[in-house]
Order: sequence, then C-alpha cells, then structure tokens
Amino acid sequence: MKRHHIMAVVLLVAVALVCTLAAREFMAMNQPDEIIPGPGVKTVGALSNYLGNLAGTSSNASVYYLDSGKPGATVLVLGGTHPNEPAGFMTAVVLTEHVSVLEGRLIVIPQVCASGFTCTDPLEGYPQSFSLQSKSKVRTFRFGSRGSNPIPEWPDPLVFLQYPSGQQLSGNETRNLNRSYPGRPDGTVTERIAYAVMQLIDREKVDYAFDLHEAAPEIPIINAIVTHEKGKDIAANALFTLETENLQFALEMSPVNFHGLSHREWGDRSAAFPFLMETSNPIQGRLRGKTDATLVLRGTDEKYKEAAQLGTMRITYELTGEPLARRVARHLRGLQAILSASMESAPEKRIVLDGLPTYEQVLEQGVGAYLQ
Amino acid sequence: MPYELLILLSMLAVFALSVFLLKLPSGVALVLSAIVGALVGGEGVPLRHLVEGSFGYLDAILIIATAMIFMKVLDGSGALGTLGHLLMKSLYRWPTVLFIFISFFVMFPGMLTGLSSACILTTGALVAPAMLAMRIPAPAVGSFIAMMAVYGMIAPPINIPVMIIGGGVDMPYIGFERPLALASFPLALIVALYYRIRYVRSIQIEEVLSRLPAPLHAKHGLKLFAPLVLVVVLMIAIRVVPQYMPDIGIPLIFMLGSLVGLVTGERIDFWQTSRTAIREALPVMVILVGVGMFVQIMTLTGVRGFLAVGALNLPPAFLYLGIALLMPAFGSAYASASVLGVPLVYVFLGKNEIVVTSALSLIAGIGDLMPPPMLLCAFASQIVGEKNPFQILKRSVPFIVLSLIAAIAMIAFADSVVKLY
Ligand SMILES: [Zn+2]
Repeated sequence: MKRHHIMAVVLLVAVALVCTLAAREFMAMNQPDEIIPGPGVKTVGALSNYLGNLAGTSSNASVYYLDSGKPGATVLVLGGTHPNEPAGFMTAVVLTEHVSVLEGRLIVIPQVCASGFTCTDPLEGYPQSFSLQSKSKVRTFRFGSRGSNPIPEWPDPLVFLQYPSGQQLSGNETRNLNRSYPGRPDGTVTERIAYAVMQLIDREKVDYAFDLHEAAPEIPIINAIVTHEKGKDIAANALFTLETENLQFALEMSPVNFHGLSHREWGDRSAAFPFLMETSNPIQGRLRGKTDATLVLRGTDEKYKEAAQLGTMRITYELTGEPLARRVARHLRGLQAILSASMESAPEKRIVLDGLPTYEQVLEQGVGAYLQ
Repeated sequence: MPYELLILLSMLAVFALSVFLLKLPSGVALVLSAIVGALVGGEGVPLRHLVEGSFGYLDAILIIATAMIFMKVLDGSGALGTLGHLLMKSLYRWPTVLFIFISFFVMFPGMLTGLSSACILTTGALVAPAMLAMRIPAPAVGSFIAMMAVYGMIAPPINIPVMIIGGGVDMPYIGFERPLALASFPLALIVALYYRIRYVRSIQIEEVLSRLPAPLHAKHGLKLFAPLVLVVVLMIAIRVVPQYMPDIGIPLIFMLGSLVGLVTGERIDFWQTSRTAIREALPVMVILVGVGMFVQIMTLTGVRGFLAVGALNLPPAFLYLGIALLMPAFGSAYASASVLGVPLVYVFLGKNEIVVTSALSLIAGIGDLMPPPMLLCAFASQIVGEKNPFQILKRSVPFIVLSLIAAIAMIAFADSVVKLY
C-alpha cells in the first residue's frame, strides 16, 4: 500500500468512529420522555385519532384527557409547539401529572410537535436534555428543536409557502408548527400535525384553546397574552386580575395578515377562543453566553444581565435570572386567570381545576414538586 | 479580560497558525480552531456538538457540489464558451451596456435562490473567461464576480438573510422588493461602471474572441443551451407557480440540468467530469463544514453572545461603525443575520423596520467575503485561477467600504429612504 492509501484508511476509520459515537447521542433523542398520567387523567389518546396517517410516525403526540364527567367547558392546552421552549411543555406536563378536573374537561398535549423533540437545532449548541427532582425521582426531559425534525422530509425548500395563504417565509419555517395552521391532511409532517390539532378542536368542541410558548428575552411580545379579536374581552379581564397580583402581562392582538399562527387560524377557523402566552427564555436568545442545561433551569445568564443593564434595547430579563419555576408559574397563573375570566363572560361553560399549584407555590417548591 | 475573549482569541490564533504556518486548508483550520475553542471553554471535545455544527450548512454544501458539476458539464459540452463568445460578439460595441449586462447576469442566480455562491459557480464562471480575455487582471475579475454575488444574494425577489431576520422577529417577507432593490442594484451599477472605466477603453473584439474557446452553436444548434434553459426555467417555476411545480430542491435542479447537458453538445465523460468538479469544490465545502463547527462552538461557549452584546455595548456614536465592522466579522451572511441581525432590528426599533432589515442584510451579506472562511473569495479565486483568495479580498475592499457606507446610510436615514420609493 502506498502512503496516501494508508492515510485514507486511517481517516476513514477515524470518521467511522466519530460517526458511531456521535450517532449514539443523536439516536438517544428518539427515546420518548416519560410522562406519568396523574389522578385527573381519564384516557390517553394520540393525534392519530384525529388524522390517521400520523400513526406510527415520530409526530404522533400523546393526548391526555382530564374529564370531570360533568358538563362544562372543554379546554385544550398545547405544550411543545416549539420543543426548545421548556416552560411551555413543562406547564403542560404539570397539568397532566398533578391536576384534576372538577367540572368540564381539560385536554392536554404536552409535546404537540413530538418530532421536534427528537433533535436539536444545528449551530445553536443546545443541550439535549435537562433534569429535575420530582416527588419520587430524578426526571429527565428532552430539549428539542424549534421545528419538527428535518430528516423525514429533508431538504427544506428555500422558501416556505404558507398554506393556504401563500405567504412567503424562510424555508426552515416549513417545520414550524406555529406557522402551519390550519394545515392539510396530505401536507408536510408539520402541516399534518396542524391539521390534526384543528380536527381535535372541532371534534372535541373545544371552547378555549391555549398554546404555551417562550421566546428570546429581546422579543417584544414576551410576557404577553396574544389572542384573536374574539378573545379580547376575556384576555383584558384576565390581565386586570393578574395586575392586581403584581404580575405584568401585556395584551397583544393577533396580526390579521400574518398567517399560520395558532391565535390567528384557530380563531378564524374554529369555535374556540385562542390564547397564546410567552415567557422569557434566555437559552433561546441570541445574546446568551454559555449554553447548557443549567441555563434552561436557572435562567441566569451574564450576557443578558449585561444587555439588560445597557438599555440599548428592550430586554425582558430579571437581573437575578429567569428560572424555569417562575416561567412555569406564570403560565399556570395566566391560564387560571384566563379560565376565570372566561367563566365570567360565559357562566354556563364552567371549568374547575383541582390541585393547580399557585404562583407562589411553584416559585417556592420548584416545578419538580408537581411532577409524579 | 473576559473569559469569552480568551476563547475567541485562542480560536483565532489556532486558525491563523494553521493557515499561515502549517499551510493547512482553511476548512481544516476552522475545524481545529473549533476543537481548541471547545477545550479552552471547558467543554472537552464535544463530539456531538462538532458533528451537529458540521451539518449546519449541509444544504449549501449540496448546492455547491451539484452546481459545480453542472458548470463542468456546461463547460465540457461547449455551452459555456459559446455563450461567452456570443455575449462578447453581440455587445462589444457598447462596453458600458456590456458591463451592466454582465453585472445583472452574474447577480441573477443569487436573486432567484438567495445564494451568493450560486452566482459565482454558474453565471460568474460563465463570464469570467470573457472578462479575463479582455485582459482584466484575474484578482480584479474575481473581486467583480464576488461583489456581484453579494449583490445578487441581497437583490429581490429572494433574500435569505432577510428571511432569517424576519423569522427571528416575526416579520413576514412582504414589501421588501423595493428596499432590497435599492440596497443592491445601484451598488452593482457603480461597480460595473467602475470596471468599465478603469479596465476597458475599447474592446479589440478579434483579440478577445481568439482567447475564448471556439463557438459551437453552429455545430450543435440551440439545443446546446438546453441545460441552462432547463435550470433557469425550473428555478423560476418553483417560485412563480409553486402550485403546479413542487420545490424539488436546487441540488436536484442542477443534477437534471447536468444530465440533459450530457446529450446536448460535445461528448462528456460524466464520471470524470463529476470527479473534477467535486475535487475543485472540495476546499469550499470543507470551509462550510468548518464554519458550522466554528459557529456551534462559539455559541456553546458563549463567544457568540460575547460578540453580540459587545456590538450593543458600543457607545451610540460608534454604534454604526461598530455594526459595519462587527457584523461582517462573523464570516458568514447567515450566521451574521441570525446572531446580530435579529437583535439589531430591535435596537433600531422606531425606524422603518423593512428598510433597516434590508440594509442589515446587505451588511450581513458582506460577511460571505470575509475571513476566516472568505467563502466567496475562495470560490472566485478558483474560477479565475488566482491562487491566493486574499488578493481578491484586497481588490474588493473599496467596494466593501462603499457598500457598508450605503447600508449604514440606509439605516440612519431609514425614514427618508422610504420616501425614495
Ligand atoms: Zn414558541
């Protein structure tokens, strides 16, 4: 063998080794997170009940039904529309594992964009998971990518044409669930998830639908409740209640000409009143420093601290950090305030939750205290 | 000294040492500096992050590979030389028109795909021989093509950096045509006229034609250009009539064009041609792999945030200057748009955000020319046969400065700019 042949063989072996080792880490993300149904869960279904062709795919998210058996409102809560926004899906996990329903019905999909939980976004340096101590053990949850996994339909088009509006967005938004509503049954994986959610809203006669998010601290709509025209009064009343508790929320109306978003399309195309909430998530931000699982949990970041003190731009970042517990507490409290406000405007549609921890409780005891 | 600065400096030092002392290809140097950055940042050798980062620009890598094959096929079939010949022959009497035409011609693939490298590999490669035949020095030709590639990426209808910024700030891609045209066409025109005046008095057509390959359209007829027509038609079709023409992806479009090119001109050995093409594209593809790792490690260790906050930290008087210097320093239009473009839109909140975003995309676009990767310079140097990509960067400095001044002016006077169109 000549020298360059030996070199080639050595390089090939090295590449094979690197691929094997890295592949094991990537493949590990296909293992679903353990979500333990709490006392309130009566049945567990899946999105494929609403769109058959999701069965057997990595996009077939579990749906948890918390039914009181008594008449009332039907409420839908989505977590994990964006799997890199942990407070969104952890709030939904707390609802699934800890809460019961006394009147009405609660449907929770903690990881609605299930396929997005199977990978992380390249170039972002994200951790693959984070762990917290629950009542009984250490619970680990995956930290996913903003969109669904690119592999099943790779490559993305250069430009994403939103269906049916024809609106042009950057190609990777093809995999963004919150740009894909109302979706279509034979569309992309993400459009099919969106379609299944629309079907669920219709078939289960959902009255109030929540989409729980987080955003980078520099995004202006943080700590806002975004709603459709028809949800304005309810949201405004909820805001009033929250303000008396010194919780700052802002009311944002869904832009009429920005298509594919849950608050726009659910509002336009179903009977449900849509509400989307955002909290401040430093690990999503572009100014963040060292990126690791601690940043997910504690939300303390030196770079954001610096940027927030500069005042060059509006940054929603408390100098002590934005811990996961507070973000989840905000989501839970916001959800509860909106539900109370909804019962004032439509008293016949009651939804009463039992075991919902208060804002202060979550802050003091952490999210883990409300997991099985 | 902030720890992030130490990480950054060690990454840059390893890069410089590898390129200048060890004479390693810059792609490999980027890989090494990413590994060192991770070590200094206390991450050990994070295999998963390195591999993940290397996939960051996979789509661009595929486009480059297939575009290169396509151009080699066009070259081998005789279409490339014939087109250059016809272009010179029909426009040599009006050098000004010729240069304006060549400029927009080079920009065209970038306007359609939003990819700067596509300009250099396709239309850039096509006009380079003709420009060299006019006795314009190779580094100058390379710089011309590289600048047009940047302007083509910025020009409407498709501008990926704007879409990346828009994705970060929830701004739909609507109403950008005019400000993007304003940020690209006038600058392209100035560069074109500069080349016309600086390098060309009158064109000695016989001499120029004698240095170009012999035309073959008489032998093969119009079908010689079928592959080019097919590729352009498909690229337009997936944009204009997406309801009838699904987006089959730019790589597949180039491969279809290459296959057609096998039977429309001179005979070509497809395997040999592909091998040459990939071999020539390899250094640039490795750069993209390396940049991906480099950016991922910068993000992981907090260097990215350090740079971004550093830009915001500049005193207001230096803000514009700082942006002009820091934003291109990311060495990649996409990385720069995503890391600095998004926060900067908020910094300039209150000004017309469509104009601001368009101008920011131009500054980010300049990043594709800059070291460490020098992506466009590396490509252009290959096309014009210039060994040292720094020569091309050097020639481009005046145009880069001009473009940055134009972009900064657009941001500073955004609200007046709106009234211009
Ligand atoms: Zn989100």
